[in-house]
Amino acid sequence: MKYLKKRVRTTEFSLTVLFIAGFIALASTSGGVLFSDQSIRSFLTYLAIPILIGLAQMVVLAVGQLNLAVGAMGGAAAAVMAQMMVALNSPIWVALLAGFLAATLMGALNGLLVVVTGLNGFIITLGTLTILEGVQYALVRSFTIDGYPDAVKDFGKIVFFNVPSVFVVAIITAVILSWFFRTHVVARKILATGANPLAARLSGVSNPLSVFLAHTLSGALLGIAAIVTITSLGGINRSIGGDWLLSSFAAPIIAGVLMSGGVVAVYGTVMAASVIRLVDIARAQYSLDPSVINFTIGTVVLSTVALSEWRRRRSEVKRQKHVEVDSE
Amino acid sequence: MSEILKVAELSKSFPGVKALSKVNLSLRGGEVQALLGENGAGKSTLIKILTGVYQTEEGQVLLDGEPVSFDSPLAATKSGIGVVHQERNLIPYFTVAENIVLQNQPQRRGLIDAAQRRETAQKALDSLGLAIDPDEIVQNLSVAQMQLVEIAKALATETRVLLLDEPTASISGSEAKKLFEVVATLKAQGTAILFVSHKLEEVFEVCDTVTVLRDGESVIESSPLADYSHPQIVAAMVGRQLAERTKRFRTVEPGEPVLELKELTTQVGHTDVSLALQAGEVLGLYGLVGAGRSELLRSVLGLHPIVSGEVFVKGKATTIRDMRDALHKHRIGYVTENRKEEGLFLDFSINRNIAVTVWRRLQEILGIIRHEKETEVAERFVERLGIRISSVMQLAGNLSGGNQQKVSLAKWLAADTEIIIIDEPTVGIDVRTKANFHELIMDLADEGMAVLLISSDLPEMVAIADRIMVMRDYKFVGEFPNSKDYAEMSTKVMDAIHSGSPRQNA
Repeated sequence: MKYLKKRVRTTEFSLTVLFIAGFIALASTSGGVLFSDQSIRSFLTYLAIPILIGLAQMVVLAVGQLNLAVGAMGGAAAAVMAQMMVALNSPIWVALLAGFLAATLMGALNGLLVVVTGLNGFIITLGTLTILEGVQYALVRSFTIDGYPDAVKDFGKIVFFNVPSVFVVAIITAVILSWFFRTHVVARKILATGANPLAARLSGVSNPLSVFLAHTLSGALLGIAAIVTITSLGGINRSIGGDWLLSSFAAPIIAGVLMSGGVVAVYGTVMAASVIRLVDIARAQYSLDPSVINFTIGTVVLSTVALSEWRRRRSEVKRQKHVEVDSE
Repeated sequence: MSEILKVAELSKSFPGVKALSKVNLSLRGGEVQALLGENGAGKSTLIKILTGVYQTEEGQVLLDGEPVSFDSPLAATKSGIGVVHQERNLIPYFTVAENIVLQNQPQRRGLIDAAQRRETAQKALDSLGLAIDPDEIVQNLSVAQMQLVEIAKALATETRVLLLDEPTASISGSEAKKLFEVVATLKAQGTAILFVSHKLEEVFEVCDTVTVLRDGESVIESSPLADYSHPQIVAAMVGRQLAERTKRFRTVEPGEPVLELKELTTQVGHTDVSLALQAGEVLGLYGLVGAGRSELLRSVLGLHPIVSGEVFVKGKATTIRDMRDALHKHRIGYVTENRKEEGLFLDFSINRNIAVTVWRRLQEILGIIRHEKETEVAERFVERLGIRISSVMQLAGNLSGGNQQKVSLAKWLAADTEIIIIDEPTVGIDVRTKANFHELIMDLADEGMAVLLISSDLPEMVAIADRIMVMRDYKFVGEFPNSKDYAEMSTKVMDAIHSGSPRQNA
């Protein structure tokens, strides 16, 4: 019972309830259109990217930093993949692997720059954001590169029992990441660095290594996001990734991941991304103004942050009382 | 002059600790009173109440005979109580004048009156006889000048009571002289001054009266300083109530040192410092706060640079680069004095807090750590140290101070360390847990661990150390085998502190 009570109180649980309620409400007011195979398929297809970029931001937040370059890294990696296949005629797997490695390398570079310069990740990734946008533009110019083999696009069209392949990729990634954070020694060190860098240092944890690895992991996740992008879209141009930044923060923050570090919520980030996706659907459904969406997401982010801050303070008060009783 | 500030029977509690207990203090205009006490004695709590950071719980604060209660620092400032904190509270990019009038910007028709600002600032500086340009950016001043600007800032708001919290902690001797001149000027103008310091020499130089706090109680209450000698003041500060408790005698077989420092010179200020610690021994490093003990060990652990000299671990000359090296290569543990800031992950469960040092050992194939293994390790040490908790999944932040300290010790025991450095283990911990902790430390030494104990609590030192080395101004000034006889040891230690080389006024 106590266990159940604890579960119900979590942000993850609230998000799950919110998602189900929202989905049912939307489905019923739409006369069941949302339950059609086509709707579900497109809903899940366009959920893959928000999940992956949310997770990419989350792993950097875990060490108490930010990655402003998520969109530029994903966009540049996708551009690398497209041009390798089109301009260099590389085999598909070579191009995808190269793009994935390029993104991972960009993440590693962010991490390295943060560690070596001692500057905050905000400044470093602001710099790499601009550089990589330039790289992306240099690769694709103002064209849309879509001359790569159909096999790539075909992969994005595969469905298993109405579940699109790209969504499966995102979910498998999330499951592996969740497992990593629950069981892996590196993940524990990353969280230790985020939770209290001083204590981590004095306990023999290398903070620079944690920061480096978190940024590298973020890059790898964006590499996967780039693969999903190239397989699910018709072509790659310079606008790819341009709108990733807000949602990359929105999902983990709504899920209760702290800006100060030390906390991750993989399932919560997936659910938060799903809720945001619902808001998008609602817009299409009711032909709402796009500004309404931005307004809604912005408001949700702010109120979640306010709510979690309030919760934190309340638990702090409780903690104090608890200690008093404890010491008697 | 008449009494301006009076503190009557003031008490204040925090979870698990009684910070102040019926404290009395009386301060007159034109009087400089020293407020003394060891770390954790309650000085900062008292200052925070007087400046409106904390609220009064029991007892009264009276200003000109009227009971007052400040609900914010601003309220205290408005009532004429000014404070110069230990930490700098100036805005570095603002000018001196802008900083001085910060709390009370002169305005004209809603805009800042720059001419008036400059004038007010100049007046405040002049009254202290300070030749500092009001238009200078604060960032360009020396630490001592900033200190003086802070005093000027406190005075710009009609301050009648000035609290100086360790004003000379980070300035040189000649700069301190200038500060004392300013204090003398203020005294002549009738300001009441409460002077907090750990440096007894300067206290005797500038103060008229003294209040000493010990464990939250005022053991000397605003008495003339001339009635006391140095040793009497120190004795009042450290107390001896714990001394007559348990006496446990241990013998340490002479052997090879496991940790040896040879003529170590550090960047933080030690010159040619040597010591040797052997297995099964509790070596105590005693000194007043700021003597340089923690800094020495933190240098050895690679947290501050070593300039010259050698460190030997188990007979081998070595360089310890960081805590990772210390832990994994040399099996050295370090229980820090700031358990909340540096010792624990308050938002992590107890088992992770304990297992953090052994993650490397617990990992299986591909770096996987099984939760059950962490729990197993944690539970073993929770039981061994008698940590009182409901489950190892509880968050460390929810524990009482004593239990938190045990958790931060447990992680080093879990790591099978052979040398453990324990820094001020019982600050802010109740008496019962304290005694328990003392037993624990001696048990560890009995099992063959080498313990280096840093403590400013002399009764604690006498109760557990086998040998006591006394540090003062970053130098060892005495070394004594511990007879565990408090009277004898305290005399020896205090003599060493007082006869030690005179202060170097850089």
